[in-house]
Amino acid sequence: MRFPRMLALGASLLVLLSACTTGGGSKPTIKIGSVGFDEARVMAEIYAQVLEANGYTVDRAGIGLGSRKVLLPALESGQIDLQPEYIGSGLADGYGGASTNDSVTNRTELQKVLDGKGGGITVLDYTPAQDTNALVVRKETADQYSLVTWGDLAAVQDELKWALAANCPTNPVCAEALRVVYGIDPQDVTLLDACSTPMADALLNKTVDVAELCSTGPEIIVNGWVRLEDDKGTQPADNIAPLVRNDYLAKVDKAAFSKLLNDVSAKIDTPTLAQLYYDVAVGLKDIKDVAADWLKANGFVT
Amino acid sequence: MINWGWIVEHLDELAGRTAQHVGLAAIAVAVGFAISLGLAILAARQRLTRGPLVTVAGIVYTIPSLALFAALVPVTGLSILTAEVPLVLYTLLIFLRNILAGIDSVAPEVLEAADAMGYQRATRLVRVELPLAVPLIVAGVRLATVSTLGLVTISGILGDRFGGLGFFIFEGYRHSFATEILLGAVPSILLAIGVDRLLVITGARLTPWAGARPSA
Amino acid sequence: MNLITVTAEWLTDPAHWTGPGAIPQRLVEHMGLSALALIIAIAIALPAGLAIGHTRRGSALAANLANMGRAIPSLAVIGIVLPFTAAIDPQLGFKLYPTLVAMIILAIPPILVNAEAGVASVDADLVESSRAMGMGEGLVLAAVEIPVALPVILAGIRSGATQIVATMTLGAIFGSGGLGRFLVEGIAQNDDGKIFGGVVLVAALALATEAAFALLQTALTSPGLRSSVNRRAASGVPT
Repeated sequence: MRFPRMLALGASLLVLLSACTTGGGSKPTIKIGSVGFDEARVMAEIYAQVLEANGYTVDRAGIGLGSRKVLLPALESGQIDLQPEYIGSGLADGYGGASTNDSVTNRTELQKVLDGKGGGITVLDYTPAQDTNALVVRKETADQYSLVTWGDLAAVQDELKWALAANCPTNPVCAEALRVVYGIDPQDVTLLDACSTPMADALLNKTVDVAELCSTGPEIIVNGWVRLEDDKGTQPADNIAPLVRNDYLAKVDKAAFSKLLNDVSAKIDTPTLAQLYYDVAVGLKDIKDVAADWLKANGFVT
Repeated sequence: MINWGWIVEHLDELAGRTAQHVGLAAIAVAVGFAISLGLAILAARQRLTRGPLVTVAGIVYTIPSLALFAALVPVTGLSILTAEVPLVLYTLLIFLRNILAGIDSVAPEVLEAADAMGYQRATRLVRVELPLAVPLIVAGVRLATVSTLGLVTISGILGDRFGGLGFFIFEGYRHSFATEILLGAVPSILLAIGVDRLLVITGARLTPWAGARPSA
Repeated sequence: MNLITVTAEWLTDPAHWTGPGAIPQRLVEHMGLSALALIIAIAIALPAGLAIGHTRRGSALAANLANMGRAIPSLAVIGIVLPFTAAIDPQLGFKLYPTLVAMIILAIPPILVNAEAGVASVDADLVESSRAMGMGEGLVLAAVEIPVALPVILAGIRSGATQIVATMTLGAIFGSGGLGRFLVEGIAQNDDGKIFGGVVLVAALALATEAAFALLQTALTSPGLRSSVNRRAASGVPT
């Protein structure tokens, strides 16, 4: 009966979060986390692999940990050390701050809010890429109701079936912004996982007529859908930046560590982000492979 | 419909998740058994506790597992405790019922003989009643293990780290990727049935004196 | 305790009782689909179980079905059905059919096995003397075997019903409605009140179902049989 026990022991070690550091040295184990959808996970994986290529040990247990509302407490409590965050939505949805269309402002505000919470977290540089909430319809629907902007949607909202992200009701830049700025509060709403394939499928299968997708969502292009314009600018500038715990930064060469990640972030523009997202969500490639291939192609690893 | 190439590429992940699956189940069954044994001994010695214990365990058992996992999230977050505690709780009724039934099944003459030989109640429990209850206890282990293996899949609601083979079901659903869903669903069914058969055989070997297999 | 107050607030908030996605709608979805699944499962499993028990042929099949039914993880059943129903009907094939089909599949073993075991274990002398009195097979089944086996049959239906209610809860993960939606959404939104409110509702429904069928079982059991009922209740598997 020994083998099953060993297997169980080995498996339970696999399962238990290992908080043990690699014992001293200037590159202690870093716990990286992310929210559950593909784009966030591939960004986390990219950061993880570039760190590993430079001698850091990475604990990936937190990748795909849960929703933002789960991630941020995990970061604040030290359960994870780093997570890639969308600076606008993170500010608004995570901390109830006032997000704007300007990336610089969002980052400053986010840092300020984080400092106000005990100053334990630093926002590193953000990517040029942005991925914000998009309301998408099929081309026929856009033609039928002459839809170009979110304002146009408001007029016909109850004639359509909607699918919104599961966290939309509590996300200030989603439900609240829709209601307050556009008067959008539709009757027929299904809540689905944010930026997920079932969300896209619902639109594809005509189960719904309006879907909330990520603006970098590959399904939009693949299916020739129409992304409606947020003409009143409610959606924040959502660049991605790693949020890192200061107590972790204190353990490493902060300048070198930051430069490593900042250099990577600098190279990720919106088309790149969209391609990464496409490879994982539609191409169904492994997140680890997509990250590795990109890092190699851009000279970050050999 | 099935992308066999994808499956071949992901065999190592399949192995890893299977190991995780078995590991999560093993911990729950072991811990659940230990706790249940203690509770059963308590219930056997203090008659009054038996009814309440079995009733409470029965109530927990009736509550759908998703609810129990979810209930722990506000308390223990998305940690391994949140995954393991419900799994352990669900084994309690099965073990309690079976261990107690096993103890009950010992013939009164045997108990009398033990008393006549001078056994104290406590010693009699541990050295006579429990050993004779082994067939039913083994049946309980089988039931508990198989049901736990099924519930492990649901722990996938707690995030990428959990779920064992259930991870593939959740992930496959997120990508509308039938192959991945099946990669999780089929092996988990085979695992459960396979372990069930294995435990039936093991149980029969461990209790050669029990003729007809007692089913609980 | 803070958790209790947060939950109480969520449950008593009138906004949660009106409009789409609110408690009444989810409750109706849950109970409605569960009832449908139970009726279909009974329609399939009961006649089969009665026939196997009465003719005593195929009881090995029934025993195997019992084992497999107990072993199979319910999430996996939904998972296996999903790709097929999604291919057939892209709309409902995701939200409705996988959960419905899974509920039916998982409820069949306890209902069938109990019907079989109940009928098969009716005192053989009783059956023989009924035949000797001139009763046809159908009458033997209907007037003798079923009434005597009724408590066990009902215990199987009760087990199936509990299984169905629990599987419906799981279906929420895949977008089917029902009370499970509060659990899934609550976890995504990290809303403790919603999670716990959902837990209370789901637990209440599950326990109420169990209690209702237990009452039915006791009520419909002929008084002479009542003492032996509890010992022969089928053991369900948690879902």
